Amino acid sequence: MKTAKSFILALLLPLGFTPLMAQPKPLSQTDAQEVKKRISEAAKTSLSIEAQFTQTKELSVIREKIISKGNFYFKKQKLLRWEYTYPFPYLIIFNNDKIYIKDEDKENHVSLQSNKVFREVNNILIGAVEGTLLSDSKNFSCNIFDLHDQFQASMIPLNPRIRETLSEIVLFFNKSDYTVDKLIMREVSGDYTNIEFSGKKINQNIPDAKFNIP
Amino acid sequence: MRSLIFPSLILVLFLAGCDPVKKSQFNSAGEAPFKAPVWVSPFHEGFEKALFRTSLDVAERHLTGISIIKRTSDSSFHFTFANEIGMTYFDIEVFRNSYKPDYIFDPLNKKSFLKILQRDFSVMFFSVSEGKPTRKYIQKDSGEAVYMYLKQNLYAWIDTRQNTLTGLAGWSNYFDAVMVGFREYNNGFPTEIRILNPKIKLVLTFNLLGH
Repeated sequence: MKTAKSFILALLLPLGFTPLMAQPKPLSQTDAQEVKKRISEAAKTSLSIEAQFTQTKELSVIREKIISKGNFYFKKQKLLRWEYTYPFPYLIIFNNDKIYIKDEDKENHVSLQSNKVFREVNNILIGAVEGTLLSDSKNFSCNIFDLHDQFQASMIPLNPRIRETLSEIVLFFNKSDYTVDKLIMREVSGDYTNIEFSGKKINQNIPDAKFNIP
Repeated sequence: MRSLIFPSLILVLFLAGCDPVKKSQFNSAGEAPFKAPVWVSPFHEGFEKALFRTSLDVAERHLTGISIIKRTSDSSFHFTFANEIGMTYFDIEVFRNSYKPDYIFDPLNKKSFLKILQRDFSVMFFSVSEGKPTRKYIQKDSGEAVYMYLKQNLYAWIDTRQNTLTGLAGWSNYFDAVMVGFREYNNGFPTEIRILNPKIKLVLTFNLLGH
């Protein structure tokens, strides 16, 4: 009987402790301002970022995942290149107000003004890597949490246009260099997309041609 | 009684006009009796889920991305379609005669459009050979056998060499007439699927990425 009780206790204890251990600690307003300042300063000195990414789309209703992988390139100002390599090749270049999409067999030029979804995603991604998103108090309310080796910025959209699609954006900043390690976009549908960056190279020379729109 | 003949005739002509299939693409299979084939939709037996590279062309929109089709019960499938960067376009449960939207991308959230899409999926997911076909034709260019099931408003294309279902055409009204093509079978499942709704110019293509 005693053994059974100990066994049940051993099973339940970790369940009780896990949420407490995983609970992110909110930063005070002063500390949050300090972290925002450091992120902004780091972003100012990051003229380019090159990384690999793994994108996981979590489908809440059917409990499935869609995984994509590829290479990410960012260069100031407002130049982004998403190069998907898995599960199929797909290229998106954001060059200021223009988007170029290359499918296997199709090329598409899209104006940011005409495509609402891409416009919002572009603003979020550029804002995240340029460090301006955290101070965009017009469009987002922002809370910063202290994790073990990261700061977590939880951004709740205030703008009705963004709220139509996204319910929350969560950014994870590396404590050592204040660059983005991970980005989660939560949709109003309950689905979310998790983009994790790895092998980051900051301020390496990326040729402008990488962002050219043919 | 005579007063009913005219409306009935109009109805028959209307339903015949809904038929998306052009008979000029067929050769006659002759009047000889034929054996009714037994076939089922590739989504019918043993299908659990599949991941597709997907594109949708409708109303001057071209949407691309990745979709999952998952069987959720004996009588339902779930279809989720998101663009490459992960934003959801469709998240919808499809039943034989109805649908339950969980999320629909706002510009496409039109009841009439979703009803047509539901009907398209219904033909693709739930069709099986029921009863004896009314007529048999031969497709001119491919030599496939085409069976017409008048009661169900349905045509089925069978590749008799491979014994596979290569196409379906179905309709319940003028607007929801649909043609579904199943191509490049691998391990009993098509790796290319194309839904064409000629009346509203909808083209939905699926290229299999994995099960």
